[in-house]
Amino acid sequence: MKFAEPLVLNRRQFLITSGWMAAGLTVLTSCGPFSSLLPALPSTSDPEKADGLAWIQIMPDGRVRFFCPRMEMGQGASMGLAQVVAEELNIDQDDIECVRPTTQNTPPFKMTVGSESISGFFEPVSWAAAAIREEMRRLASEKSGVQVKEIRDAQGGFLLPGGKRQNYADLVEGRPVILDQDNAVDTFNISARHTATAMGRYRAIGQNWRHHDLVAMVTGQPLYARDVSLPGMLYGAVVRPPVLGGKIKSIASAAAKKMPGVKAVVVNREEEFAGIVVQRPEQLQAAVDALEVTWEDAVSLDQASLDETLNVDAARQSNDFEHILAEDGKAPATSRQRITARYETPFATHGAMEPRAAVASVSEERAEVWCGSQDPFFVQLRVAKLIGRPAEDVTVHTHRMGGAFGGRVWCRAAEEAAMLSQATGKPVRVQWSRETEFAHNYFQPRFSHHIEASVDSSGLINQWEHDFVSSPIITGLVPENISGIVDTFVADAGTARGAVPPYEFGYHRIRYSDLRTAVPVGAWRGLGVAPNVFAVESMMDELAHVAGIDPLALRLKNLGQDQARLVNVLKKVAALSEWGAPTAPGVGKGIACAVYKDETYVATVAEIILDEEAQEVRVNKIWCVQDCGLMINPDQVDHQVVGNIVWGCSMAFKERISFANGRAEQRNFDEYEILRHDETPAIVVELVKSGAPPSAVGESALAPTAPAIVNAIFAAAKVRIRQLPIQVDDVFANKTG
Amino acid sequence: MKIEINGKSYPIPETLQVVSLLDFIRDIVGLKGTKYGCGKGLCGACTVHMDGEATLSCQETVGEVAGRRIITIEGLAETAGPDQLHPVQLAWIAEAVPQCGYCQPGQIMTAAAFLKDNPSPSDEDIREAMNGNLCRCGTYPRIHRAVRRAAGEINHEVR
Repeated sequence: MKFAEPLVLNRRQFLITSGWMAAGLTVLTSCGPFSSLLPALPSTSDPEKADGLAWIQIMPDGRVRFFCPRMEMGQGASMGLAQVVAEELNIDQDDIECVRPTTQNTPPFKMTVGSESISGFFEPVSWAAAAIREEMRRLASEKSGVQVKEIRDAQGGFLLPGGKRQNYADLVEGRPVILDQDNAVDTFNISARHTATAMGRYRAIGQNWRHHDLVAMVTGQPLYARDVSLPGMLYGAVVRPPVLGGKIKSIASAAAKKMPGVKAVVVNREEEFAGIVVQRPEQLQAAVDALEVTWEDAVSLDQASLDETLNVDAARQSNDFEHILAEDGKAPATSRQRITARYETPFATHGAMEPRAAVASVSEERAEVWCGSQDPFFVQLRVAKLIGRPAEDVTVHTHRMGGAFGGRVWCRAAEEAAMLSQATGKPVRVQWSRETEFAHNYFQPRFSHHIEASVDSSGLINQWEHDFVSSPIITGLVPENISGIVDTFVADAGTARGAVPPYEFGYHRIRYSDLRTAVPVGAWRGLGVAPNVFAVESMMDELAHVAGIDPLALRLKNLGQDQARLVNVLKKVAALSEWGAPTAPGVGKGIACAVYKDETYVATVAEIILDEEAQEVRVNKIWCVQDCGLMINPDQVDHQVVGNIVWGCSMAFKERISFANGRAEQRNFDEYEILRHDETPAIVVELVKSGAPPSAVGESALAPTAPAIVNAIFAAAKVRIRQLPIQVDDVFANKTG
Repeated sequence: MKIEINGKSYPIPETLQVVSLLDFIRDIVGLKGTKYGCGKGLCGACTVHMDGEATLSCQETVGEVAGRRIITIEGLAETAGPDQLHPVQLAWIAEAVPQCGYCQPGQIMTAAAFLKDNPSPSDEDIREAMNGNLCRCGTYPRIHRAVRRAAGEINHEVR
């Protein structure tokens, strides 16, 4: 697919001649197709083995510096990968310095998404560390005259025959060493890799290292982009439309410019951008309030119209689905037990605890940005385009994020700070409020499912027809002017994630449409997996009850031999939770399972209690068994599994974004509640020891949580929940159990 | 008009009296450990101690709390003695509580004030005391364990 290259002015020259560089009010009218050149999608290239060589450095003192190519947002990826480096180089945690990279000291790497940091980067990191260790061994051989094969591994270096030590520090002789691919020993055949032998005896892998930021986090050190402060820094804010996609009609800045401390009012009509910069932080709000902006009437946007568009029944009536995800087998002519059901999950938001923020310093010579983003190289490209500079002139300093969950691939605060800094020639800080975070980030889309399935008397599912409608998630951020072309060619795999069940069905057909609406949509923890598995695992439960078969037995009956790992976690979670043991009245247990990205196997049992007196449904306990292959840091894996379960409970009971009058109705944590401490169930996690390669853990245990809960509610109350979040009133109004 | 923060006295100029205590601590004093999460007293990320009590710093203007004694996460360790961390911080490290870590200063400040008042809490007491502090990563089970652990340590020391 090729796009015609639009003709553009030299942006920098244009900016200078148009007076952009001056302080005060500057209005940039549209400069043609410029915004279509803003990079639309984040960095997506998977790492190759040799990339790892640029991430690891042996320092003159023999310690190792690791430029971690993954952003840290709480998942612990930088710790896990540091453990992999330590494993191959035979060093302890104290001997490794894990550095948050900048866009200048590390070659571009893929955005930190999709729980890939260990599963996708384990290979290049371990390979590169091993390659460097072998290069060190070669140096040791050169220096000592001893043959390479007689030089043994030892702590921080090598052991020569006769017991003499040769440490890395002795070998690098006072200079840092970085290997590039051309002089890597035995480039693509590092047979001596420790981690290549699964279930081997490891020194760092499998240990519960504590995160290198742990003490800094509990003592309140400035780790986050929101904590950055530069000398001479000014304070900026951007006026935002009251509705999604609102466009500026007119702007009057005379009053604002007279407000105390105002340094500049910056308007860019093409980017729908109006911002203000002040001297001191306490002057900012009054200055923003004095800026008089009127907005064009925007497209009407309300929940009813969104529900109508993202409606699986409408798509079924016209029999018009954009994509067939899977189809196989022959539909049975008749079936004994046939069920049709419709499931829905709502729009949702990330609610990361740190609202995004950035500081930018743009001068004639260079541009620097301090921000927390899942994709610093995407930030670099976008900022470069917006300020009319080549990308290499822009340095992005990365920070630990106060949560991300897919919501921080795009960091507009960084772009805003850069534009305001360029206008003033001083460093400028921009911090989003919680309300801005709710209103102006992208959302998890609504999902609308229809499943028709039938089961025979022996419990074999002989028909499975699943249709669903949602919005494109991975390509959700592409601008309007190219979205049509993108949608023609791309079936969004993020939207479809988790929709193909692990079961063997006599006949199955899974169709979907990813439809755009006026709501900006992007990644949210797990993308499509939680909504899709909610539908699939709810229907499995419905089939079990209609066939009169135990829900665990039905699942086991329909899993093929290739799903042995899923069968294993199901059996283990059943044993752990005493599945099948009688429960007290008002108590119910439900089961669900999922395979995340064809690599991580999870099974969950939830126990709920119907509290008649308080009219509450309480999740009392959740048991979860996960098989995610080799675990670099089992304690951190446990931590992630628990976090996913808490998120799953939150999704099941609480979270829903609705739209009215062009905007999200929920503005803060009172209107959009997330799970609190006292609502958290007891959680028991068992992790399967496995020789398989390490696989995804950051989102895997989320998928079965909500369906296990609704299946437990059915067991206790005989009420089938088909829409999230669960309406507790409906449970008590309809219960018959 | 003055305010004491972590044992140091800071003047409050007239122009800053209407600034929130949170913004004063972060932007004027420059201590970044106290976090902004919601600005509405809904999440607990901004919790500090005011005269020993857990207080949401986003809900106070600095002028109104002039003369009070504030302890932030940066000053908490010192309240336990020189050159050591507070038992609650040590418990947080022992249980490896944080994921993203952003809410944890607020969680720790809430827990420290609570344990001072109630050194032998029940599980129900802990749930109630910690319920105003949101954690999106879902570290509540570890927060709970850390509070219990810290209570054990504090009691042990007292005995």
